[in-house]
Formats: sequence, structure tokens, C-alpha cells
Amino acid sequence: MSTWSGIGQGFSVALDPTNLLYVFLGVLIGTVIGVLPGLGPTATIALLLPITYSVEPVTAVILLAGIYYGSMYGGTITSVLLRLPGEAASVVTTFDGYQMAKQGRAGPALGIAAVGSFIGGIVSVVGLVLLAPPLADLAVSFGPPEFVALTVLGILLVTYLGTGSALKSLSMAALGLLLSTAGLDPITGTARFTFGEVSLFNGLDFVAVAMGLFGVGEILHSLERTEKVQAVTAKIKGIWPTRTDFRDSAGAIGRGSLLGFVIGVLPGGGGVVSSLASYAMEKRRAKDPSRFGKGAIEGVAGPETANNASSTSAFIPLLTLGIPANVVLALIFGALLVQGITPGPQLIEQEPEIFWGVIASMFIGNLMLLALNIPMVGIFVQMLRVRAGILAAFALLVTMAGVFSVNNNVFDMWIVLGFGVIGWLMKKTGFEPGPLVLAFVLGPILERAFRQSMLLSGGSFDIFVTRPLSGGLFALMAVIIIVSAVTSRRRKAVFGRVDPADVDEPAPDADRQVTAEGSPGADSTTDTPPTSTPGER
Amino acid sequence: MHGSTAASQTGPEATAARAHRWLRLHRLAPVLLVALGVAAVTGSRRLGLGELTAPGPGLWPFIVSLLLTGTAVALVLVDPAEDYEPWTSGTVRIIAGLVSLGVFIVLFQALGFVVAAFLMLLLWLRVFGGESWRLTLLLAAGGTAVMYLLFVEALGVPFPDGLVDAVVGG
Repeated sequence: MSTWSGIGQGFSVALDPTNLLYVFLGVLIGTVIGVLPGLGPTATIALLLPITYSVEPVTAVILLAGIYYGSMYGGTITSVLLRLPGEAASVVTTFDGYQMAKQGRAGPALGIAAVGSFIGGIVSVVGLVLLAPPLADLAVSFGPPEFVALTVLGILLVTYLGTGSALKSLSMAALGLLLSTAGLDPITGTARFTFGEVSLFNGLDFVAVAMGLFGVGEILHSLERTEKVQAVTAKIKGIWPTRTDFRDSAGAIGRGSLLGFVIGVLPGGGGVVSSLASYAMEKRRAKDPSRFGKGAIEGVAGPETANNASSTSAFIPLLTLGIPANVVLALIFGALLVQGITPGPQLIEQEPEIFWGVIASMFIGNLMLLALNIPMVGIFVQMLRVRAGILAAFALLVTMAGVFSVNNNVFDMWIVLGFGVIGWLMKKTGFEPGPLVLAFVLGPILERAFRQSMLLSGGSFDIFVTRPLSGGLFALMAVIIIVSAVTSRRRKAVFGRVDPADVDEPAPDADRQVTAEGSPGADSTTDTPPTSTPGER
Repeated sequence: MHGSTAASQTGPEATAARAHRWLRLHRLAPVLLVALGVAAVTGSRRLGLGELTAPGPGLWPFIVSLLLTGTAVALVLVDPAEDYEPWTSGTVRIIAGLVSLGVFIVLFQALGFVVAAFLMLLLWLRVFGGESWRLTLLLAAGGTAVMYLLFVEALGVPFPDGLVDAVVGG
């Protein structure tokens, strides 16, 4: 199918009234949860997974994708106004965005972020259209060894590019792989690790695991912090940036689009990494780098563009190779698997309406976000009035009722609770749930590919290194491990600036006079209010 | 168990000692992982490893649990303590919250969705959320009604029969 007819088909799918409604719902929910500091995109997508089973697969992905890139827009609002990033990728925006707000330029900061996000999103959609089909064509020739290599690479990159300790992430990935083996052996039918429990014969339910770790776990974790978020009372004026603002940030938006696109395609990319890279790039290029951290509009435009571009291009490895690049995409991957669709090289051929429909919906969704964000920022800010306690109570109730509805089975509710406890304990002990869920999703694929490879090769591991593609991929992995071991100290220093775990360390680029307490952080935390309310200045 | 050891000391002068004690205790998580890994290794061996040419059901779990055990052993040795968050008084709230969720599941099975949901919202909004009684009652009643309509009427989820069904349905 040619690209043009594909795009045509995509729009006919995306413009279907039902799908149009779900794009709108997705970007709206995404923006709202991006604003609310207590609930991030990962937790929200996990909570909404059960709902996706009642709709068509393409509608489900359209909804979940909308939440994902919508949250990238929403996270900006609180970063600029309150220095509270609603989700992790917006941490960088607090450096200059909050300073702009203090200077009375909150409007242009939000405006340029919305425009930049829109441009970045569209550039990425175009890139997705151009790059995905040839990549999928290449991937069609992949055999089991290549899939072993790709899957291992995906897990490895997510573990290494995360913000926490690589060793801890790796052990969580191993735990995820182990958990995914529970249930009947796909080939011999032997019950593995079921402890005689019939409910476990089909394995641990992916939805229950994800909802427990991300939904319940994060809600419990945020409950431990009792601080309340302060609402912005002042009006935001002049949201549309001036011509000078546009001229100043045009370069940053252009570079941010390309940078975000490239980083998003790489496994483990997306979100935080892309916005950080863009900020660093803009600062390095600037004639007067000292302006950064004091309200430079490029410092808002570049990272915001990049994080939205990367959240779109992160769909490329999922839709062409069947490898989710990060945790959010692992959840979308899981949602598709439950619907009986395995994303991979054949997706474009076999399910063109999903591939092209999702792409077209991204285009529409980004337009909607631009239209929503410019006039409605004031309304979204009022969302901050919803107290964390109320949010937690309802989110938990939806979780429990939702997980029951998947299999109409009370056992799954206990699984959610169990994984909620595990998720909370992991947060407390510095283990990341992301690699665990990613590995849990990829586990069955990896096992099948591994066993097929062993049958193909007659039990020899040579098959992984003698075939050019899988050999190349494994060589790449070896390079990654070596390089990351060598540069781990340096990497730590870079991530230290935006690491959600670094509670008290003020970002070196931020104005030191502003002493907002609490973690500039993860998408799940309820932070303390800053000492001053920016809008009032 | 960490909570009790930490809570037994008070005052700023105890902070250093507490931190020290914490450093010794913080390796508990990797130790648990090692135990889990070893249990999984023996479990997979019992399932039957088979041959590489004809993998048995236990071969893949065996490989994976070796990886888990290996990384966990390494973590016991090098786990950075700064990753760990201290246990606070909030921890008690979390445990209470967890128990309440367990009670919710039991009530849900025994009495149905409406009663369980109302009681859970009541508890969470009033005790954990610190809302006023008026708002709590309003939100709990309204929330339960909306959820019931959404899940049972709109989505057709067959919740276990409860008190309300017995009264309404007859």
C-alpha cells in the first residue's frame, strides 16, 4: 500500500465519530493528568486499561496515545506556574519557565510551549509516516534469533537509560521475566509456578500487574506525603507569544523537533532524556548562556518541543518492530496483546487501519491540543484545586472495580493489591517498576523466540552471533554495556540535574534564590507548594 | 520491621545512629530477591530443564531466575543506600490504607459493590483525605452512584450480588 493511500485510510479511521471522540477524551485526560501532580501518564494509562477492552483495538490505542502526548502538554502548565512538574519530562521546563512566570511572562511561556509541542508533534508524525514502513519491510525478514536480540536490546536499553541504578533495573527486568513465566508452558502445557491455583493457569494478568505497580503503588506512595498543592489564583494574560518570542524560539523549536524525534525512536528514549538533551543543546548554542535559568524563552521552547516529538516517534519501534521503547508504550503494547494483536513487522500489512489510524489520530490530537491549550490554560490550572486525597480515593475505587471487570474475577483484585504493595515497597527501596513491567510484557515473546532459535540451531548459541543482524545487535549491546560502565559516573552527574530522586539538590541552572522545596519530580509525587505563588508577581 | 527500629529512637542526636542502623538494614530488599531467585532456580529445575535442542518447561525460567539471583547477589554487595527513602509516620497510614483495601475486597465479595464502595470512599476521604464530614458524605454517596451507573449500567460488569441488589431486585 502506498503511503498516500495509507494516510487516506488513516484519516477515514481517525475521523470516524467514535474515534474522534476518543482522541478528544485522550488528549483531554492527558492534559488534566499532566496538570495534576498526583497522577502521571503511566498510572493513568494503567488505570484505564480495562476500559480499552470494551472498544476496538484501534480506538484503544488512539485513546492511550492521546493520553500520552496530551500529558506532555499538560505537564508544562504546572512547571511554568508553580515550578511543579506534573510529569517527569517537564522538569527541565521549570528552569526557565518558572522564571518567565516570575517576570510576568507566564502567558508567552505556556503559549510557546504549546506551539512548540504542536510543531514537534507534527514533525514527528511526518517522520513516523516516512520511516516506519521501510523499517517494517526490513523487519519482516527477521527470524527468531533477531527477535531475541531485539527484545533483549529493548529491555537492556530501558534498564540502562533509566534514571536509577542500572543493576537494580536489571534485576527488576529479571523479576519481570520470571513473573511472566507463571502459568501454563506455551509449548508443553506444563503448569509453572501456579502453586495449584487455577486462576494462575493463564498467568498473572498483565492489567492487574500494571495497575497494581503503577496505579495502587504510586497512589500509596503519594499518600505518604501529606502536603497540599497550592492553587494559582492570578489570571494569565497574553498567552499568544509576540513576534520577538517567535523569532527567539524558532531555532530552538526546529532543533527540538529533530532531536526529540531521533531520541524518541531509540529504545529507552522519550520524555525526560529528550527534553534534557534539548535544554543542554540550546544552552550550548546560545550566544549568552547566562540567560538560561533566568527566563530564556528558548529554554522552554526547545525542551517542550522535544518531549512531545519524542513521545510521538517512540511509537515507531512499537509499530514496526514490536518493541516498546519505554514503559508507557509497554502498557500500550500490553493493551494490544490482550486484544489479540501482536504489534510487529506485520502490523502495517495485516492491520493497516491500526497503524494509519493511530498516525492520523496523532495529527488530529495535536491540533486539538493546540486548540485546547491556548484558550483553556486557566481552566486547567483550576484542576490543581482537586485535593490529592480525593483523587487517591476515587483512583483506587476505579482501579479495583476496573480490574474486576477485565475477567470478572475477584482473584485479580488481590493480585492488584499484592502488586500495589510491591510497587510501593519498590519506590521506597529505589527499584523502578518500569523495567519490571516492560520485561513482563516482553517475556513470553522472548521465551518463544529463544526456544525457536534453539530448535533452529540444534541447541547452539552460535545462532545469535553468526547471523548478521542478530550478531550486530548483540555487538551493539556489548558496546552499550561497556560504554555505560565507563561513563556511568558522568551519566549520573547529568541525570542528577533532573533526577526526580534528588530531592534537595537545586538544579544548577535554576535561579538559586528560588527555594521551592520538595522533589522536582516524578509524575507521581505530590509536592510541597513553593514559597511564593508565581502568578501574583 | 524497619519502622519499629527507627521509631524506637527519638531526638536529633539519634539521627546519626538511626542512619547507621538503616545502612545495615537497607540490604534487606536484595536479600529477599536472592531468596526469591534461589527458590525460582530450584523450582525451575524441578519442572525439568530438558536439553537445549529440546527445551523443557523449566529451562527458560531457570535462565531467568539465574539472572535474577546473579543481579540480586551483586546488589547485596553494592546497593547504594541513598536510593532508599526513610520510613516515616506516613508509613502507618499506608499500611492502614492497604488493610482497608483488603477489607474492601472481602466486603465487595460478601455485600456487593455499593456498600463496599461507599464505605471505602467514606474512610479514604475522611481519614486519609481529611475532608469535612459534609463533603465526605456528599462525595461518597455521589461517587458510589456514579461508579455503579458507569460499571454496572453502562459497561454491564457483573459485580457480585449484594445487599442493594437484594433490596432493589427483590
